[in-house]
Amino acid sequence: MTNRFGVGLLSLFFLTGCVQKEILDDIAIEIARGYDWKEEDKIEGTMLVYNFQPDKSIKNTTLTTTASTSRELVNYLQEQSPEPLSEGSLEVFLFGKKLANEGLIDYLDAPIRNASIGARLFLVVVDGNAKELLNGNYGNRGNAIFISNLLLHNIKYENLPKTNLQLFFRDYYEVGKTGFLPQIKKIDDNKLELNGISFFKTDKIRVIDTLETEKMFYFKLLVDKFSEGSHIVERDADKAVIRSISSRHKMKITKRDPYTVTVHIKIRGIIREYTGPGTLTKKVITKYEKALEEEVTKECEALIKRFQEQEIDPVGLGFFIQTRTRGLHLKKDWEESDMYKNLTVKVVTDVKVLESGVIE
Amino acid sequence: MSVSIPEKSKISHFLVFFLISSMQIGIGVLGFQRIIAKTAGYDAWISVIIAGLFNHIIIWIMFKVLESTNGDLVSVHTFILGNKVGKIISSVFTIYFVLLATAVLRTYIEIIQVWMFPDLKTFWYAFAYLLATIYIIYGGFRTVTGIAFFCTVLPSYLILTFAYTVPFSNFESILPIFDHKLKDIFLATRDMSLTYLGFETLMMYYPYIKNPEKSKKWAHLAILSTTFLYTVLTIITFAYFSEGQLEKTVWATLSMWKIVQLPFVERFEYIGIANWNLIILPNICIAIWCSSRILKRTVNIKQKKGVILIALLCLVSLNFFETRDQINWLNDLTGKIGFYVNYFYIPFLLVTVLIVRKVKKK
Repeated sequence: MTNRFGVGLLSLFFLTGCVQKEILDDIAIEIARGYDWKEEDKIEGTMLVYNFQPDKSIKNTTLTTTASTSRELVNYLQEQSPEPLSEGSLEVFLFGKKLANEGLIDYLDAPIRNASIGARLFLVVVDGNAKELLNGNYGNRGNAIFISNLLLHNIKYENLPKTNLQLFFRDYYEVGKTGFLPQIKKIDDNKLELNGISFFKTDKIRVIDTLETEKMFYFKLLVDKFSEGSHIVERDADKAVIRSISSRHKMKITKRDPYTVTVHIKIRGIIREYTGPGTLTKKVITKYEKALEEEVTKECEALIKRFQEQEIDPVGLGFFIQTRTRGLHLKKDWEESDMYKNLTVKVVTDVKVLESGVIE
Repeated sequence: MSVSIPEKSKISHFLVFFLISSMQIGIGVLGFQRIIAKTAGYDAWISVIIAGLFNHIIIWIMFKVLESTNGDLVSVHTFILGNKVGKIISSVFTIYFVLLATAVLRTYIEIIQVWMFPDLKTFWYAFAYLLATIYIIYGGFRTVTGIAFFCTVLPSYLILTFAYTVPFSNFESILPIFDHKLKDIFLATRDMSLTYLGFETLMMYYPYIKNPEKSKKWAHLAILSTTFLYTVLTIITFAYFSEGQLEKTVWATLSMWKIVQLPFVERFEYIGIANWNLIILPNICIAIWCSSRILKRTVNIKQKKGVILIALLCLVSLNFFETRDQINWLNDLTGKIGFYVNYFYIPFLLVTVLIVRKVKKK
């Protein structure tokens, strides 16, 4: 018995020296990384690492360097860091607008190839310079957590569609769909804001168009199967904020050759705020419902027209048609095909306001 | 002809369930989705079900073959070919089971190296692992069965973690159903059968089952549950990845864990991979046990010595496989041989057993 025990113990000793240890206090935990266009074939990389202060606050420490490839960049940054850099808890990847316009394909290989980077990582386009943005001071839990929380709550309750590394690459590799990423902007040293959605062309993953914040509500209705969000409806003299508490969309192919797709959007909402001369009677509410229905239909159709002109398909109409058509295998360049250009999309909206608050 | 095993070292009939399912679920689960989707696209989940149905037939055939001699694979061979030739053919299977154990262990170590510790030494890890295996096998077949039981039950909670992928999935991707040629679906069925491998070990431990007649039900139940598990996993994977993305994902099951978010752990893969240690333990134990059992039955080497011999053989051969390509080659080879053993050799055995029996009666 002791013999066997001895063998077991011995094997434990053998194992301890086998692998490289990573003790939390002795590594630099990287939580955000930014890439910027510097000059032709040169990029500037900024890395944000945790720096815990004795009073439990987090100081934002950044390292910056210039290199020609992403991997080279990490190597150079290792030279600046007193401790080995660990990529296991990266929260956000930021890309400067200029670089995003050139194409991100060379810089996105790293996060998907690296086994230690999570699938919930946010990819974000920065309206401006990623380095400048990372050098600011937002909130008291560090910049990266601030950005990821900002995006998370906008996804959950507001008008930003679901997005992360996994979803972006899922769309990128899907035939008949193109990807999109949120765009943020630095306002001043302590503030930043979500200011749109960038749409990508698949070829080099470059930004081709950016959606304004006001239109994000409609875009979310089109891409997310179930979603929440809020929207201001204006009529001549009065205004109401309608919050959609549950909305869903259903697509149907109504005609083939050339294809016509009908999108049924169903919104169930509540009125959050109302300003106007009259009182909010049943009749007024019905008018708001109608107004929102018309607006959603008009704007969604316009959005899809815009996508068709730009030759992108972030809604995934190609993917949808393929799943409903036996024997149809779309090509990689579906977005540029005549089939997509000639596609007609009709939007039918159904809005119901369920409640209008605690006063009448 | 039949092998007599003392009653006290036999196992209850229902434990066959754990022996079969634990042997089937091994390293293949971590990355089979890509392989089957290559030929049949997103219709491949149908292939998973078809392959499962074939396994039921094979299990039925195995029981038929084993019943005829009431022994194990070695007795079947001696029954057909006589003592000498039978034993020579049987000893070939020693190599087959060694190959099985080697392929599983090497692939698992590769996964640790890619996902967690790039500088892990193959030799030392395998050394410690095989020591544990030898220790378990020294406890006899009942201990091996116990390990199979625990290593099925304990890590079974991992199934729940795949629920994390659902909010990021689109189940419409498997539409339209039957969009691929029947031929492609059957080709994927062949590829899928590699993942299901392992239940041929039944051919060796059959004499150890207390009540073989009753164990049939449990064997089929085991096949049914692995088929169900694999089908669900395949559909979840297809919903989570787009087809082009899956093509590039070597270990789809592991990659799905990247989306898991728990307050106490940043990267769940580390827990999952560590748990997989348990899942492959019965794979290696049963394979090496079978291998040493054949040695005992054919060349009369005591099993305690045979185990060490075979473990050494595994340990040495492991080191020959270093790169992804080599390991892939090893897995392909094992898969192919296993495919022919299960789906051609065993039915062939049944036919010959029936013929030989007729001839002998006359």
